[in-house]
Amino acid sequence: MENKQYDYVENPFNVTRRQFMTIGGLIVALMVLPSLWVRSLVSNRSRYILARTKGLYRDDEKAKIRVSHANRAVAGYYRDFGGKPLGELSEALLHTKYINRTHGLAG
Amino acid sequence: MCSEKMILKHPMSVRIFHYLLIVSFLPLAVTGLILYFKLFSGESMNLTMQIHVLAGVLLTLDAVAFFLIGFERVVLFVKRVFTISVNDVKWFAVLGGYPQKLLLRKKVPVPPMGKYNSGQKLFGICVLIGGTLLVGTGWILWAFPHNTPRETVALMGTLHTVFGILLTIFLPVHLFLGIYMFDDFKAMILHGRIPYDEAREQSPLWVEKEVIPLNK
Amino acid sequence: MNAAVKTYQKGEIPGVIAINESLCKGCDACKRHCPTGAIRGLFGSAHSIDADRCLSCGQCLINCPFGAPYETSDTVDDVMKKLNDGTVTVVGIIAPAVRVAIGEDFGLPAGSLVTGKLYGAMKRAGFEIFDNNFAADLTIMEEGTEFIVRARHAVFGEAGEHGGEIGPLPQFTSCCPAWVRLVETRYPSLIPHLSTAKSPQQMAGAVAKTYGTKVWGKPAGKVYTVGIMPCTAKKLEASRPEFRSAYEYHRREGEAGSATPYPDVDTVLTTRDLARLFKKMNIDLAAEKDVEGGTLFAEYTGAGTIFGNTGGVMEAALRTAHAVMTGSELKPLEFKAVRGLKGVKSASVTLRDRKYDKDVTIRVAVVHGIAENITALLEEVLAGRSPYHFIEVMNCPGGCINGGGQPIDGGGSSWLSAALPWFAWK
Repeated sequence: MENKQYDYVENPFNVTRRQFMTIGGLIVALMVLPSLWVRSLVSNRSRYILARTKGLYRDDEKAKIRVSHANRAVAGYYRDFGGKPLGELSEALLHTKYINRTHGLAG
Repeated sequence: MCSEKMILKHPMSVRIFHYLLIVSFLPLAVTGLILYFKLFSGESMNLTMQIHVLAGVLLTLDAVAFFLIGFERVVLFVKRVFTISVNDVKWFAVLGGYPQKLLLRKKVPVPPMGKYNSGQKLFGICVLIGGTLLVGTGWILWAFPHNTPRETVALMGTLHTVFGILLTIFLPVHLFLGIYMFDDFKAMILHGRIPYDEAREQSPLWVEKEVIPLNK
Repeated sequence: MNAAVKTYQKGEIPGVIAINESLCKGCDACKRHCPTGAIRGLFGSAHSIDADRCLSCGQCLINCPFGAPYETSDTVDDVMKKLNDGTVTVVGIIAPAVRVAIGEDFGLPAGSLVTGKLYGAMKRAGFEIFDNNFAADLTIMEEGTEFIVRARHAVFGEAGEHGGEIGPLPQFTSCCPAWVRLVETRYPSLIPHLSTAKSPQQMAGAVAKTYGTKVWGKPAGKVYTVGIMPCTAKKLEASRPEFRSAYEYHRREGEAGSATPYPDVDTVLTTRDLARLFKKMNIDLAAEKDVEGGTLFAEYTGAGTIFGNTGGVMEAALRTAHAVMTGSELKPLEFKAVRGLKGVKSASVTLRDRKYDKDVTIRVAVVHGIAENITALLEEVLAGRSPYHFIEVMNCPGGCINGGGQPIDGGGSSWLSAALPWFAWK
């Protein structure tokens, strides 16, 4: 439009260079810090899973017997009652059949 | 054109930033209330949420653009709203003289103010912190609720609700006073200029310390 | 609530998990954890669960930031009544994953191995202890033998000892009820590939009410079996009407017993449920002293205990398959190739089958977090292109230790939780 729309302006030197750096730096820091925090939370989110996993592997390491076929109680079960794996009693008690459930679903 | 002297109070960059704020924040507030109070269900709720997200993205773009392009204005703003003195306490003691002016038609003395009066500073701090938090939490709630730890997302949700409600309550106050002070309204919404005499009465410290004549 | 009966047998719990619509914000986080897309509802509006698609795995429940999904089956009070009933022997069947997680509900750090304290707390509550790790060892004996039969049939044409059909390769594990339900509702043509072995929980129930009655000297009708599991789908599994093997056994043996059929596993408590039960009975697990299991049903091996981890069933099976086929123990016992959080892990083991004096290469795969990782693998199997002979499948990312019934971890950063203790999701 015309040259003289207004007669006064804000002094551009209101904020000194030092003030500008300080305030600007604070603003940026306050924006960046929370995002760093959230990022570390996201990347650590599986920590509890790894902790529980480690717990079980530790239980394995300190076990005196570490293979299923050496479990004396299991051997005792077969000897005193169960027979042998895949035997008749096992088929009845320890094995099962599955069901096709898709007849109910539309697809 | 008028014969009184004018101060450029809000340059173009600031006014554009503010226009986009209006266009994004008003839908955010309305849809936010609908979402929080679960006023709809099904398809309507889905549409409400989509509008909320779209407006939120617009607000984010507006804020980021202004942050990058108008960084000195952001610094100026932060400096102004956080410069607090005992005058601000005294201002709140009389509520800036507004209730007396509006309800009793009485004019009471008010301590001298800078560019922003104490109420505007409070609003500015709320919007700065609240707005930033709303944008930040909003993005996580929208885009990353499934891979951010659930406790964190719950916190984001609480913060989003608290500051959303806070700003939505403050909004009518801002709208009313922003229109009531009609010169300021014209300055922010139209051309950016405010009459020198008006400014000297409302913001004497600003005019005294920060306003200078335009160089030819 | 969820009254769908299209994909459920009579007696099964239809819809173990449901969503509280007043808490749901429609954020869709749950949908990205659901393996079957069973969650209905548009973004922003309250969601609901389609029970016919739902596997009851509970991943939505442990991941929802707002606690909207909940369990529709809660039998803590029923179990407490039985515990207080002096005429009933209440048997607690404890899964491996429980012992590294239940401490978390009593203030202990994640992953604390609290077997001894758990036994102590259970005994104080009145439970008879039946460690599911014993049943896991039993499962390896059954399923491992089954695999060797299938493998020797496929490679050497050996006919089974018992006549009858021998299942095809690849063999899939069947201990994960969510995985089994996925096969039954989506991939029924894969049913012959599933191991016919029951899950350790169901084996434990059947054994407790048959062999267990002789060990404890109690009639089967007075034995009340409680599965204590990291898993919500186990509640559904226990309710399957065919799991009444103990009742059928006693009926065939002509033993006078109950006129009405009773299930092998009467009810299931999740790890969270058990913690709640202890608290209701004023038992502080963290304060318990370590205690031995005491009975043969608490005897287990390292192979049984790792069942709770993804890759654990496979590693346990390989340790035994190696010993049976070659005559010597696997060295080293740790089979690291199947460990870890990678979605699909694979390995191959070449061993000398001493029966046929020939080298056999077994290719195995381990998949977990099936929401993301199962489809490509299954399509390979359906197309007949799968290179694998034995596949372990666990629905939950990480395995059962991260099951839908485990204590919910807020996943917050440790320093923040320390500063603001009220912040913990407990």
